[in-house]
Amino acid sequence: MRGSLKSWLSRVTAALVGVCLAGGTAVGADNPHYVMTNDDVGGLFASGVTFYTVGTGGLLTVKKRVATSGKGIGGGYFAANRVSVLDSTNAECVYASDAATGDITGIVVKTLKIGGSANGSKNDTGASNGIGLAMNSQYLYASFTDSSNIGTFQAKPGCKLKFVSDITVGGLQGGIVDGMVIHGNTMVTTYGDGSIESFNISAGAPVANGDEQNSTGSRGGNVYPNGIDITKDGHYAIFGDTATSTIVEVSDISSGKLTPTVVYHLGDAISASNILLSPDETLLYVSNTQGDRVTAAFFDASTGVVSKGCVSGHLKGYVTGWSYLASLALENTTGTGGTVYVAEFGAPSSIGEIEVKSSGGKCSLTETSKSPVSDPNSPGLLSIGAFPPRPF
Amino acid sequence: MRSVCRYSLAILLCGFSFLRLEAQCPKRPDAGTVVKDPLAVNSVNGVLTADFTMRHSVDNGGYNHYCINYDTDKGEVEAPTLRLHQGDRLILNLKDRIESDGDDSAGMEAMDMSNTPTCGDTGTPTLSSTNMHFHGLNVPPSCHQDDVLTTLLQPGKPPFQFNMQIPKDEPPGLYWYHPHVHGFVEFQVNGGAAGALIVEGMDKVRPEVTGLTERVFVIRQQYLVPWVPGPYQLTINYQDAASPSLPSPVINMKPNEKQFWRVVNATIQDFMPLQVWFNGKPQPLQLIALDGYPLAKPRNQDTVLVPPAGRAEFIVQAPPQNNEAIFISLGYSTGPTGNPDLEQQLARIDVSNDADEASTPQAPVQAKEAPQAAKSDDAEPAPSITISSLKFSGLRNLKPTAQRKVYFSEEFGGTNGPIQFYITVDGQKQKIFEPNEKPAITTHIGAVEDWTIENHALETHDFHIHQIHFMLLEVDGKPVKDQDLRDTYEIPFWEGPGHPYHSIKARFDFRGAIAGTFVFHCHILLHEDMGMMHKILVLPKDAPDPN
Repeated sequence: MRGSLKSWLSRVTAALVGVCLAGGTAVGADNPHYVMTNDDVGGLFASGVTFYTVGTGGLLTVKKRVATSGKGIGGGYFAANRVSVLDSTNAECVYASDAATGDITGIVVKTLKIGGSANGSKNDTGASNGIGLAMNSQYLYASFTDSSNIGTFQAKPGCKLKFVSDITVGGLQGGIVDGMVIHGNTMVTTYGDGSIESFNISAGAPVANGDEQNSTGSRGGNVYPNGIDITKDGHYAIFGDTATSTIVEVSDISSGKLTPTVVYHLGDAISASNILLSPDETLLYVSNTQGDRVTAAFFDASTGVVSKGCVSGHLKGYVTGWSYLASLALENTTGTGGTVYVAEFGAPSSIGEIEVKSSGGKCSLTETSKSPVSDPNSPGLLSIGAFPPRPF
Repeated sequence: MRSVCRYSLAILLCGFSFLRLEAQCPKRPDAGTVVKDPLAVNSVNGVLTADFTMRHSVDNGGYNHYCINYDTDKGEVEAPTLRLHQGDRLILNLKDRIESDGDDSAGMEAMDMSNTPTCGDTGTPTLSSTNMHFHGLNVPPSCHQDDVLTTLLQPGKPPFQFNMQIPKDEPPGLYWYHPHVHGFVEFQVNGGAAGALIVEGMDKVRPEVTGLTERVFVIRQQYLVPWVPGPYQLTINYQDAASPSLPSPVINMKPNEKQFWRVVNATIQDFMPLQVWFNGKPQPLQLIALDGYPLAKPRNQDTVLVPPAGRAEFIVQAPPQNNEAIFISLGYSTGPTGNPDLEQQLARIDVSNDADEASTPQAPVQAKEAPQAAKSDDAEPAPSITISSLKFSGLRNLKPTAQRKVYFSEEFGGTNGPIQFYITVDGQKQKIFEPNEKPAITTHIGAVEDWTIENHALETHDFHIHQIHFMLLEVDGKPVKDQDLRDTYEIPFWEGPGHPYHSIKARFDFRGAIAGTFVFHCHILLHEDMGMMHKILVLPKDAPDPN
């Protein structure tokens, strides 16, 4: 598995076409409702964020592409989500990272114009596998996957950022930081060697909680936690595992520290590197990143127990149009979230749309007739987000 | 070793650390010149004794060269072809003189070698360590023979001696040799450390080749940009095959001349569908042998697919004068997550009555006279050779004593990594190779086993087992017409859910003198280096299983 000049050129070409297609004008909105992609364009062209409006039935339509100040790489870690959203009473911002140039750009949602951008220190690099983002109303955190650093940036008015500090982190076996998520004063990270760790971010910069450990699933040597989500009450951290089947792990973090994870096997669909809880926390959506399906598992927020739910059919375009599934986003901020969107990594990429039905302990995931939506601006889509975001 | 990123970092670091090294490797041919056969070193009185020195340097273009040097009276030459007969003894003294002033293990996790018996030098394997695998030879997996699990040579140490007898029933054909230190194989082979080994006697089994001019072509691979892994370019006998960016290598033939071409795919990962073209179309190639094993009957094919580490021997007929011909490797799809194997012209075939240079580009040399003690019983004349007298003959009629299933799979934490490469015996846990691991398979001398090998990954893999050949029985569940004996075979990528896994079924013959522990793995060398490999233990007949 190596990159190639040919694929790089095709991606750049695809990106150029996409730039031309999407060259619209900025349109403001009183109640903006978007799905956004980090286009992750590398090579000669600037990267950007493409905003899609969400129409009836969750149908996505390109609204505008906002060029960022840097360049991407067209690939990287699945769980290093490169789009993060700030939705507070004072600010509505979308932040996106540019892996190749190491910068993070803030976009004002109301105007779809750039508010500002910032870089970390000279030691912060993510040019091989991306820069993951997570944020609260005060700080944005960036996981630089080459240097294995976590940078802390202060959110400033106008969607600007100010770099504060960075720390170097690493797995027990030397793994590089991969997934990262925050909830309240807690940050949880995964590393590429099967270990997981939590940090206290009450003072802004992360301080290790001293609970780094190998996940239970990784001890067998053939799976490792990748994507992460945390329940609304902060009781449980859920990990989606990179594996040759669908495996998730759950750790009770109610004490403020990670506890040994409980492993759940959810079926044969390949890998679970990206996960996302539904707004009502009844369903855990799993992107089967190395396959062509999306899985939904039932989740009991009171116990942290995960149980088998349903699996989508084979999503359209696998192999012929795209080769990996990646991050997830939801149409709505309530209930099971409405339509599930999943990034489809290809050149050009696309976004899969999946309709969810869940009642009486049964569920179904059905790809919509208009799915996938082409994402011509992205030569290697991994990260998507939604505005407004899920409220936790 | 989960991270390709770290692996790439090692390449970068090691590459730059070598920048100031003075040349230790012979200069390689200029682009656009006549392709010359490697120097041939012949056995004398039943023994081939040769002294090899493994060196490393960086050329003016920045390319890392790893070279297996052989001393001649005209200076050092690189990777000669070793030519022996059935029953001959090969005595190879190998010195490791790879110089380095960098941290050779940069970016690599230290391998736990405790509890691993050592053959040769002690110490941790690094990029400066080496050893030698005799790919395809059916010889024992023991110290001083073809053992890659415990044999380790360290720089600056005294020469290590390989000393083995070519079995008297060894199939005449084309084999090859290359370093095989786990974790560092790709670096050294990609740098050019590989050469051909020929067991003589093909004309006895396949008289079609009698009297033909023989050519030996070793196709290797190197990074297109010296320090950046992928994309790659091919070389033929160390000459860049990068037409049209560079002038094409030239193979000389006379009009309508038939030549016997012996081609080694010594690339680290390139699947090569080979063709010879003239008059605007591919010409039939008369296939004589695959992986060093003569075919039961020659067959004409337009395309000969040679996977990484495979060999093909075939007769090529030149066009009449005033025709242009080319030797080409077609593009090959290795799947959505595989490497792009692009079409590449390997050489232009120059057809001329003046093409004398083609016949004997470099005069063969006789190996050093063997010490008297080495001659022993090996020097007796080999018996006449027929297909039915070769090792593994009659295998198709034997009843297998066991059935197994083995499969390739991969895990991706991202599009660029971390990636895990697995080869797994069905029913066991997926895990990457560790030097101290217990054998994944245990069997006994005398066993004949049928293995089904599946590919569950989204890229094509390349199955190889040391020490023995296997007989191909089925592809994708269907019996094959030609039950060739192979030691390396491609298994195409999985098209995804809803599609069946591609597979082969093959018969493995453990009746020979191969007691010991050896390995099976993917011969895409990055995959092998990253652990897509496991051990097999062949116990003496009736010995209890220690595991």
